Amino acid sequence: MKTIPTIIAILVIASAAHARVKLVALPDRARVVVSLAHPDATLVEEERLLTLQKGVNKVDFSWRDVQIDPGSIQIRMLNRPDKVLVLNTSYPPDENALVWEISSPAAQEERVRISYLLSGLNREVVYRAIAEADEKAMTLRNYLRLRNDSGEDLTDAEIGIGYGADFKKTIAHGEILEMLSEKIEWMPVRKVLTWDAATLPWDPEYQKQTVGIPMSYVFTNSAAGKLGTHTILPGKARIFIKTGDNVAFTGEDWVQLTPVDREVKLSIGQSRDVKVTQRKVKEDKINMRRNVRNEVVVWDTDEEVKIEIENFKKEDAQLVLVEHIPGYWKMEKSSHEFKRKDAFTVEYNLTLPKETTGDKKTVVTFHYNRLNVQGNEPASY
Amino acid sequence: MKRSSLTFCHPERSEESPSCPGKKQRFLALLGMTVLVWASSTQARINVVTLPGRDTVQLTIYNSADLTMVKETRTLTFRKGLNKLEFSWANTLIDPTSVEFRALTHADKVDVLDVSFPPRVTNTLEWRINSEVAGEVVCEIRYFTSGISWSADYVAEANKAEKLMTLAGSVRVNNNSGEDYENAQIRLVVGVIKLVEEIRRLAELGRPGAQPPPAPTAAPMMAVGALRKAGMAMEAAADMACARPREIVKEGVSEYFLYTVEGRDTIPNGWSKRLPSFKAADVPVTSYYKFERERYGDRVVRFYRFKNDKESKLGNEPLPDGRVMAFRTVSADNLYNFVGRTNVKYIPVGEQVEMELGSDREVMVQPKLMDWQKLNLAFDQWGGVTGWTIKETWRFEVQNSKEIPIVLDIRRNFAGDWELKTDAKYENVDKSKVKFVLPLQPREKQTFTYELTTRYGTNIVK
Repeated sequence: MKTIPTIIAILVIASAAHARVKLVALPDRARVVVSLAHPDATLVEEERLLTLQKGVNKVDFSWRDVQIDPGSIQIRMLNRPDKVLVLNTSYPPDENALVWEISSPAAQEERVRISYLLSGLNREVVYRAIAEADEKAMTLRNYLRLRNDSGEDLTDAEIGIGYGADFKKTIAHGEILEMLSEKIEWMPVRKVLTWDAATLPWDPEYQKQTVGIPMSYVFTNSAAGKLGTHTILPGKARIFIKTGDNVAFTGEDWVQLTPVDREVKLSIGQSRDVKVTQRKVKEDKINMRRNVRNEVVVWDTDEEVKIEIENFKKEDAQLVLVEHIPGYWKMEKSSHEFKRKDAFTVEYNLTLPKETTGDKKTVVTFHYNRLNVQGNEPASY
Repeated sequence: MKRSSLTFCHPERSEESPSCPGKKQRFLALLGMTVLVWASSTQARINVVTLPGRDTVQLTIYNSADLTMVKETRTLTFRKGLNKLEFSWANTLIDPTSVEFRALTHADKVDVLDVSFPPRVTNTLEWRINSEVAGEVVCEIRYFTSGISWSADYVAEANKAEKLMTLAGSVRVNNNSGEDYENAQIRLVVGVIKLVEEIRRLAELGRPGAQPPPAPTAAPMMAVGALRKAGMAMEAAADMACARPREIVKEGVSEYFLYTVEGRDTIPNGWSKRLPSFKAADVPVTSYYKFERERYGDRVVRFYRFKNDKESKLGNEPLPDGRVMAFRTVSADNLYNFVGRTNVKYIPVGEQVEMELGSDREVMVQPKLMDWQKLNLAFDQWGGVTGWTIKETWRFEVQNSKEIPIVLDIRRNFAGDWELKTDAKYENVDKSKVKFVLPLQPREKQTFTYELTTRYGTNIVK
């Protein structure tokens, strides 16, 4: 498709001219600044040097094949804001244009800054990470990908993304430009397997396929994690791992918006070398309260869960067990320390020694009572 | 145009539209006026035709109904005796039932005897006027038109710390009435009026129609503006003499608030014109963030809060409802960051305003239910459960990732017989809503918890 070149013209018209004669001057842009700090809007600020006559000047600003929000256009005088005044703005019918009437006390040049919201200039954040072979550190590259479908060629534009230093680039209409914005080497990561009792089968013996346990790389957006200077923006991350002199692709995930000091968890694949078998070994109703028709209306429970975990790997593994208990409950006994994540979720963070299978397997048990059960207890909030 | 009902020769009217810029493809707007003088004493028919131009035009534009009152003056030459005055309009949106005539000079000697809407023609009326004087009379013609509107808009330019802002207001007049108004005095009204019929509909009839049905009680109403007399600077100019800030004359008329733009402006049909109306620098502003799940979901929404009063460098007049674009200056040379845009309601003097500017992902609120207990079961004589109490423990993690301090307002809604226990400071907004207001320093994180006890059934005590 042939692109029609965009024209953003500024024409200074002597005030005597009554009609919209588009002829007098076409000052070039002296500077273009693009702010991508707002997630939903691209702000362009351009500076031009207007040659004004003494008196009232009509300045015609028009555009074609560019998606400028006309209601967003502002003009500011940079040299003499108190003396060079915008008297009014006129909007002609059915045209992408406006006319400023600007009064100048003298014939002079004035640098003006014109700001507007521009559609079609989109950005994505893209991450690429290469994990070390031991999966304890990675090199993270953060790219900014600009896609210019605005209709406007941006030449030597100063581009800001809301953090870090602005950079100067030329990006033509139709061009997609990808720039490295950050590179963090030897960033510490943890490799974590997550077995969630709500989503994974409890007894792998009954599965036709080997159960894969979701595997993630976890790092913290903090100074200790070699990050922590700004909120990590959402974007797709592709993860590779070093294999000798080469790299192999291990998976990809969406990076979520992550404020400083919070964890980023990239789920990138499955591990089939760790086997988790969970069984409920006890589930008794106790302390039953009955109505006059001898129906149980409220009861407590006495429940026990046993989880057997085998690690077939030749190295230790980090496993997070996620367990869900609805309603009102009390933990009576647990073989391992657990962390209450919310009212209905507990997590066990386990280190599985290498090659712990068979008799050496890790066994987690926990015993709890659910209280005042009526069968309508919440499991989420 | 031929009007066979007139017994005398009717002259052709020239259909000149006012000259104005940019009228190329527009449909023709025409306000033609013909004065036909009939010297009744002699029974002779003397056809004197003049087409006087407007001497002055005044537009009074309402901002939330499609209504503009046009007041124009023309100097007509009358003969002593009966004069017929024809007033016609075409391709405009003038309400024919609203057209009125009165003499401004020799008012006691010039009387309108009647007004006729001739058959088989539209957009024309004819006044029969008796004049006791011969010569020039300055007359006023007043009518309603639709198709002209005005709106207010604002640019809020906050400083980097978001502590102060420059607030600039503008008014924008849009003319789609079919008529060019040259050198018109413009008055803008915020106020309540009641219309039982739309002006546009009356205009489309071309001539007075049947009686409208009785006005329903829910007649169209517009937002109310308070009455004030105050001064406001305004910059607008058509020539160098006016290239300075100008006063806007204020008039209090009943419940209306009236801006009268000094000077004259030309707004051709199809054009809009935006005029700066005021600019106030160093207005104190608070960057205020709200979290209320029932209202905004999981988003934290940013507001700029300020007060329309003298202490805040404002308060000269109520601010009409309109659109706001908010920017924040982020560099030494005042480059902008776009903050957001929104509509603001009408703001009376003294009122605190909150401009909702969209979500901000640099402020995080994460509520977590950490414990849930069902307690104190009560039973009736048949063993059924009749009462119970739920105790919830909530933990809130909040984080300001910005480099400036902010204020965060977290609102929680509780139903029924509830009781709140917390070490955090909170206020009751009403019987079912509380708010936690947390000032947060740059990059600050905070955590607070509360315990909510809600009683149900027979456990309810209040």
